[in-house]
Amino acid sequence: MRKGEALISNKIRALRFQHDEMTQQMLADRVGVTRQTVNAIEGNKYSPSLEVAFRIARVFCVPLEQVFQYAGSGDPCA
Amino acid sequence: MNLSFQEKSLWVVFLGLIAASGWYCYTVSESIVPTELAVDVMPDQVALFIAAVVLLIIVQIVGHIAIAVGDRRSEMDERDRLIGLKGTRNGAFVLATGAFFALSAAMMTKGNFVSSHVLLGFWVLAQLTETGSQLFLYRRGR
Repeated sequence: MRKGEALISNKIRALRFQHDEMTQQMLADRVGVTRQTVNAIEGNKYSPSLEVAFRIARVFCVPLEQVFQYAGSGDPCA
Repeated sequence: MNLSFQEKSLWVVFLGLIAASGWYCYTVSESIVPTELAVDVMPDQVALFIAAVVLLIIVQIVGHIAIAVGDRRSEMDERDRLIGLKGTRNGAFVLATGAFFALSAAMMTKGNFVSSHVLLGFWVLAQLTETGSQLFLYRRGR
């Protein structure tokens, strides 16, 4: 993994389109953040707090792991 | 480029500060006699400084009115607060450095002209660092 590359990826864009092509602004309003923050999260430029991550998952009615994926190496549970 | 209200506000502060401090520096440097170093801050320079602060306030008010007309003001979210804190931290380093140099100048030079202007210069630099680094972080994402 290159330095600066995001460890947390997400499927927000896909989930938005599955939910009646929800816009970033609509998602931002429901989560309580700005549209620019949704854009930064979607582009893997900003990792949200746990609370915002849960709120995003709740908007799409899916578990957190379905929205966010952690790509860090070394799984201690394996 | 699609900017949020916070980013536009930062640009107004950044450019307003450059304009006001640039005008003050240019005018004061024009008034100093090149052959001798000024010792104390003169009353006309104090008046200039007050005028620069008034100019800065006017630029900020007009700029923010212009932004508010064309943009719905959004509340600050966690990313805005994080970027704000990082910017403040960067600015604080510059201001602390400036305080050190201003104290050194106060101990090593006659009068208050040099030390007060070193402090003023570093204060402006700290503000520019704070807003500039926030603008950079907004463009980078965090």
